[in-house]
Amino acid sequence: MGYLLLGIVAGLAAVERKGFLQAMLSRPIALAPLTGLALGDLAGGLAVAAPLELLWLGAVNLGAALPINEALGTVAIAGGAVLAGQALGTGVTPATAVLALLAGAPLALLGRRADRLVEGANERLALFAEEALRRHHPHAAVRLNLAGLAMPFALAAALAPAGAWVAAELAVRVLRAAPALDGPLRIGWWAFCGLACAAGAQALRARRAGAIFGVATAAALLIGLGLRATP
Amino acid sequence: MTIRLRTRAHVFWRCLFLQAAWNRRGMQNLGFAYAIEPALDALYQDPARREEALTRHLGFFNCHPYMAAAILGGAIHHEERVAAGEEPGAAPLSYKATLQGPLAAVGDGFFWTALRPFFGAMAALGALLAGWPAVVAAVVLYNLIHFSLRAALFRAGYQQGDAVVGLIAWLALPRMAERLRAAGVALCGAAAAAVALRAGGPALGSEAVAALVVAAAAATGYLALARGAALLPAAYLAAAIGTIAAAVTGFDGRP
Repeated sequence: MGYLLLGIVAGLAAVERKGFLQAMLSRPIALAPLTGLALGDLAGGLAVAAPLELLWLGAVNLGAALPINEALGTVAIAGGAVLAGQALGTGVTPATAVLALLAGAPLALLGRRADRLVEGANERLALFAEEALRRHHPHAAVRLNLAGLAMPFALAAALAPAGAWVAAELAVRVLRAAPALDGPLRIGWWAFCGLACAAGAQALRARRAGAIFGVATAAALLIGLGLRATP
Repeated sequence: MTIRLRTRAHVFWRCLFLQAAWNRRGMQNLGFAYAIEPALDALYQDPARREEALTRHLGFFNCHPYMAAAILGGAIHHEERVAAGEEPGAAPLSYKATLQGPLAAVGDGFFWTALRPFFGAMAALGALLAGWPAVVAAVVLYNLIHFSLRAALFRAGYQQGDAVVGLIAWLALPRMAERLRAAGVALCGAAAAAVALRAGGPALGSEAVAALVVAAAAATGYLALARGAALLPAAYLAAAIGTIAAAVTGFDGRP
């Protein structure tokens, strides 16, 4: 049942990402918690949402250029981390999250290939539409537009649960076989989170981004430490 | 003849599906024809003229999906005049061809590389500090802005036709985009600090090593990415170095 729900969430996200709406619901920051919610662990999905959003902040569809498919990667990683946490009885921990990330992230690259397939199929749809118009079926011609939503849904619904399964299996097997790795993997997760913040800052391509990023980090750290020190 | 508000609302709803069948040959052509169809049905009672109009909108079209709303509204504006015999059939096509490139550039630069990443960074920071309510608030706020602009552009395109360019220039989106990008970078910095404080635990005692790892990964990661390092390998490397260093030193940052 969990994998079926994952497939539906991933399919709907694939549709929202490009074909319909584009209201940020397929971005990692919204999609990871939704994936967690579908699997009964909203907090687990939320735990990986922020670093994944920042990591893929620059994944945007500009013109004909195809970015990596961050939505597919997100469902695989968040789903894998939540499923692994449930199997181990620990919930999502930094160790399960980083292992799910390592196993699930390549799905974002595979998703880009799937997007190319979809574009090819849509090209045929456009040709069918022109043909239907030549045969004086204008309504049928333009309604073919909606058929373009089916393939991204189906591909994501098939790939994301498979990716989540692989990610969860890897995390469960590694942490059962070598529980001592839990501590080091925790540090690995935090290192990844640091890099994700840098990736977000870099992706924005603002003027003097490096200086702004450094000053903002230092200022926020000082404020945070000051707040902690305040009784 | 003018198009009724209800039909225009139907066209606007359909324009949310503009990229449903995006393809490399005609790009958003099928989506545009799908969106404008209710307006053409209302304007042209003669099936031959309706098909002719639909055929012209099945040609190549590509724009930013939000900004395309202005072109769709403007195309209806011109189609009304074509149907009334005031303009030649080529007028809507010329309008589309003139505006699609510039509006795509403005839309990509404002929405895709500034507004959405800014709200993404804001939601990420909010998630770290306040949990899911902050994410919901950021997404809702983004969509309030996005849908307001999308609807306003559609209405302005329909009412003003070619003069919609004046409204878009007045919005000064490129200047606003630059500010949003800088603010987004600052939010990423604040997120790095929030992650470091969270990694360091409540007391920042012996766990401070995790906070230092976050800071080091953020600084070296930024430099590496700015010099052209590939994103995913850099992410793997950061996680691997953190894990291996902690395993070798036995210092995993836990009390």
